[in-house]
Amino acid sequence: MMDKLEKVLGPLATAIGKNKYLIAIRDGFLVSTPLLIAGSVFLLLANFPIEAWTNFVENLMIGNQSLASLLSKCSDATFSIMAVFATMGIGYTIARENKSTPIFGAVVALMSWFILMPFQFNANITSLADATGVAINVPEGANAVVSGLQFGWLGSKGLFVGIICAITSVELYSWVERKGWVIKMPAGVPPTVVQSFSALIPAFIVMTVFFLINLCFVACGTNAFDFVFAFLQTPLLGLGDTLGAMVVAYIFLHLFWFFGINGGSVVGAVFNPILQSLALENLDLYRELGPAGYSVANGAHIISQQFQDLFATFGGAGSTLSLLIAMLFFCKSKRIKELGKLSLVPGIFGINEPIIFGLPVVLNPVILIPFILVPTMNIVLSYLAMNMGLFPPCNGISIPWTMPVIISGFLSTNWMGALFQGVLLVLGVFVYLPFIKTMDKQYLAEEAAAADSADTDDIDLDDLDLDDL
Amino acid sequence: MKKILMVYDQIQAGAGTKDDQMVPLKATREVIGPAIMMERFLKANDEKIIACVYCGTGTWKEDPAEIIRKITALAKKLGADGVLCGPCFNYGEYSQMAAEAALSIQDKLHIPAIACMSAENEAVISKYSKEIPIVICPKKGAVGLNEALENMCHLAAEMIDHKNTDNLRKEICF
Repeated sequence: MMDKLEKVLGPLATAIGKNKYLIAIRDGFLVSTPLLIAGSVFLLLANFPIEAWTNFVENLMIGNQSLASLLSKCSDATFSIMAVFATMGIGYTIARENKSTPIFGAVVALMSWFILMPFQFNANITSLADATGVAINVPEGANAVVSGLQFGWLGSKGLFVGIICAITSVELYSWVERKGWVIKMPAGVPPTVVQSFSALIPAFIVMTVFFLINLCFVACGTNAFDFVFAFLQTPLLGLGDTLGAMVVAYIFLHLFWFFGINGGSVVGAVFNPILQSLALENLDLYRELGPAGYSVANGAHIISQQFQDLFATFGGAGSTLSLLIAMLFFCKSKRIKELGKLSLVPGIFGINEPIIFGLPVVLNPVILIPFILVPTMNIVLSYLAMNMGLFPPCNGISIPWTMPVIISGFLSTNWMGALFQGVLLVLGVFVYLPFIKTMDKQYLAEEAAAADSADTDDIDLDDLDLDDL
Repeated sequence: MKKILMVYDQIQAGAGTKDDQMVPLKATREVIGPAIMMERFLKANDEKIIACVYCGTGTWKEDPAEIIRKITALAKKLGADGVLCGPCFNYGEYSQMAAEAALSIQDKLHIPAIACMSAENEAVISKYSKEIPIVICPKKGAVGLNEALENMCHLAAEMIDHKNTDNLRKEICF
């Protein structure tokens, strides 16, 4: 049974782990991670869930702007234009995997994305002036077609087009390069000049192709962004934003870990782009409605990157912080207690390698059941609690997965969410308990047997005969 | 029943994280670390873990010759039939220590000693793979750990029984 399962999961993990595009999407998203976390700090400062503070930052004027709006510039420059970083990052990674010049991959990806992006859109207007500069009264709800870059497309809504553009444009670019259709320079020309000339023809061909694609979309009376958003991004996000998808993804993730395969990186390669997009949509909504209006009823997604990072597991895959508590407080064998003590500090910050490989969880059928059961329970109960409105869904603010439990819940939802994390943590302890106790009993018996035979388990290393070695 | 000694670093022994490098050299009759996952492969090859010896990579680095000498002496004292040093995954220092231990045991005690690591440890592999068997294992978190553990047990059994392992080594070793 175990062998059969591994025969299915092993090749699957290899296929996903070696897929160039999934690697590129994963690494491309990583480019923006430090920016998103840094931006989150400013976003939290602007929206910290204490009313006196939010009033203070909103009313403190610096020049003609409030401190709140100045703080939010940092999140505008990170979250709101996140798709720019992702498109660039993915283009860069694919070019790297293709052995092209990465930086050209990044700019070619951006260029093709901008070619498809509509530069004219409808916007609400708040002030209007005639040709002489005299202000005209603006009627309520007035809007006009304006030119520019739209935040929506630069952020979450443009993400999928960005992924597609980055992959296709850089693949095309590398293909032209491989064909040898490049301008070659004589020896002695500086390498940067050589690179920029050799990029000329491939970039030109990519531009022409995307010009034609855009032409087709316009001829059909639409644009690539609206099209992809409506027919690919929305359905895919809809599919990802379900309890079923999340549970199935996490069962797979933990099965991978059982065979010693880093499940997070395999499942994340497929699932994270969807979760990231959902989180970005959540954040847009949160910033629009504020903490008071942010709810499932108003369109917030329950499933998102933060839901996965902060509510599915505590202390790493398998929610092993619960297991650790069970080990420390309810187990008696020396071995389990020692491992528990050793793993506690890393465990609080979501790192559980000592347990995964030390207990071990890997290939240990006794622990497999709670290892899958506890995260599933966390997901289902958190989902239901958010769905019932006990506390709001995660607000999309990028909180690193290493943030300790309860604090992370408070920052991402509210004090009720933090409390709920605590309850789940304790529930997990009870699920793990019978299983770890089984192991504990076995170890205790072994330890007692060793003590009875007056022969301790430890072997004396002081009386070794080292003379002829 | 073939008597097997395991050689670990502090991480595989479950005695520390990668930062706890100064764990002293210790030996125990308890079956710890990856040997727990190897149980059914050991059984299939009529093998039994008689002890696990481990130390922090920092402890080893302070005086490599002394640590290797002690591990070798322990294998002799316990009358081990074979020694498994690994799986080392992509841990560089542990791989070096494992290779040195295996080489010393093979040369001084003339019993089978096998190291096991991933392709990332190029320097160690190119230096030692001609002299000692190094079973291929995946890097941390990659596919194929189960198979690597099985291969280690299988190769050790064949070597202890003085069978010709040339073909097997070509297949599963660097």
